[in-house]
Amino acid sequence: MIAGLAPGSQTLESTYRTNGPAVKACFEPVREVLQASSAVIKSGRKEIAYGTVMSADGFIVTKASEIEDAADLSVIVAERTYKDPVVLGIDPAWDVALLKIQAEALVPVNLALDSPDPERGTWVVANGATSRTRRRPQVGIISATAREIAPAGGAVLGVTLEESDEQLRVSETHESSGAKEAGIEPGDIILAADGVEVTNRQALGEVIDKHRVGEMVHISLKRGDEKLELEVRLAGRVDLFGEEQSRNDQMSGRFSGRRSGFPRVIQHDIIANNAGMGGPLLDLDGRCLGMNIARANRCETFAIPAGDLQSLTDRLITQVTK
Amino acid sequence: MRDSSIAALFGVFSSLLLLPVQADSSRPYINDKKAPDSRHDLEVIQKHLSEALPASRRATVCIDLGEGSGSGVVVSPDGLILTAAHVTGGVGKEFTVIFEDGRKVKAESLGLVASCDCAMARITEEGTWPFVEVDRDDTIQLGDWVYALGHSGGFDKERGVVVRLGRLVQVKDETVQSDCSLIGGDSGGPLFDLNGKLIGIHSRVDRSLQENLHVPMRAFTKNWDGMLKGEFIGEGPFAKKPEKGKGFLGIGTEAREEGGLSIEKVGRESPAEKAGLKPGDILLKFDGVELETKEQLQELLKEKAPDDRVALELLRKGKQETLTLRLGER
Repeated sequence: MIAGLAPGSQTLESTYRTNGPAVKACFEPVREVLQASSAVIKSGRKEIAYGTVMSADGFIVTKASEIEDAADLSVIVAERTYKDPVVLGIDPAWDVALLKIQAEALVPVNLALDSPDPERGTWVVANGATSRTRRRPQVGIISATAREIAPAGGAVLGVTLEESDEQLRVSETHESSGAKEAGIEPGDIILAADGVEVTNRQALGEVIDKHRVGEMVHISLKRGDEKLELEVRLAGRVDLFGEEQSRNDQMSGRFSGRRSGFPRVIQHDIIANNAGMGGPLLDLDGRCLGMNIARANRCETFAIPAGDLQSLTDRLITQVTK
Repeated sequence: MRDSSIAALFGVFSSLLLLPVQADSSRPYINDKKAPDSRHDLEVIQKHLSEALPASRRATVCIDLGEGSGSGVVVSPDGLILTAAHVTGGVGKEFTVIFEDGRKVKAESLGLVASCDCAMARITEEGTWPFVEVDRDDTIQLGDWVYALGHSGGFDKERGVVVRLGRLVQVKDETVQSDCSLIGGDSGGPLFDLNGKLIGIHSRVDRSLQENLHVPMRAFTKNWDGMLKGEFIGEGPFAKKPEKGKGFLGIGTEAREEGGLSIEKVGRESPAEKAGLKPGDILLKFDGVELETKEQLQELLKEKAPDDRVALELLRKGKQETLTLRLGER
């Protein structure tokens, strides 16, 4: 029997559990990387997400859907609080937001760009509970094969359609859908999608199924005598309409609202909740394997791989500096 | 047929006992430390995982029950599977198991222990299967580093088997608790020590993320022979014993003057239909007993429970045929 047990007890003291303080102390060098290169994103006094520091001059990426509707944003990096971060851009396909704070000499993460996907069993470290001045780690391992997570329920325009006389008529557009944003109105007749003529739901569905959530579909429609050409952003069906909680969901605590529809993720077993995403996923060397993007359920957490994180961040930065 | 396959499995059981101890199966020093305290300690855990995982993954299966799924693990080259009683739900149930590479094979459940969630099954197709070694010496101790595998939430070929790391945080006679997070679909899946030896089977979770409960191997070894023989052992919450008199065949018959019962109707989706019985067939014998009246068949069925196997002797187009089928539930 190992030492550290209360006499007669058959229960391990919590400090020696996988995420107990005694075990986590061993990850101090990695915690120091979190201290320097992860951000805490707050709305008022509430912590709503973590962030990953991408440049010395204050570019930070985080999970877009957790901060989009939040007011009074502030960002903490190391011990310092930065007021009024600017949300410069959002990549809807990856659910990533690019933030900028007025800073210099930050320590960006060291992205593991030259490596293949980390193998199952590789130690990983992410942000756990935090204080104003101190980042704390949460530890686990890589759990599964890197892959795409298809959008639950598929990608949708966000319209209700009626089929009549070989015509596809919009009867309703849904709140915060791409259809509504693009200006589609009830009564419009959809003629074509991506240049392909569509006269029924199935034909339209076939075009849409070729896309991912967040991508744009070109819709040609008729409104009265007028013909319109629109670019419509696709949403995930579940993101737009919600979903019923499964039994597995009920045992999963507070998981991410957006947890499907990612082009590629690596999966690990670090315990987190919906507000624990956006921070870096580090290995024992403190190298950044990716950015946490979704707590999917009780045993599955997803991160965007380092290579994809680099290229999508570059893309977002190029868009705003153009 | 059944008896001979049980004998074969016994053979495997004895030979497993005789397997030489592998050179690298000594207790990892890291288990005897309160907590890892160096980078080296952490790397040792990581190295154990990367060495043991490939074999553990190959032997971990998804048990596809049609409605829902669980997990299991193969423990002999001829396809003996350990899983949870609440996954198989009974003795003699047929289902499909899926290996991580997507290969699907047929299997059926053997015995179970209803009081502590142990069950066995076996692959019924010919073949040699990847398997893991069982920790028969019951070497587990509180605080040991362990890892859990399973087809969490169901089979997903792109994702593969999901692994989680943890420690044994509570050890009792018939239950151990770890901090490896489990979810639906993991039930019946394997818990391994750092050498890749099977030490437990996932049973259930509680709301708290800390409460992940497994059945230790000692509960299996204690009931091993009975489970191999297909016995329903104990009473408890994890499986309900089939009730006598609830066996269901699904035919309507009329007695014939020259003996035997003429089958008039075969119920849709009934066990009789699935076994290929057709109106016009003559039922001559039920489990070796010659049939003369409808009442006689009813009396014989009263002694049967759901999932019991029965042997039927038929006269079809003048030819005598024998078939066995498994009763359904009335």
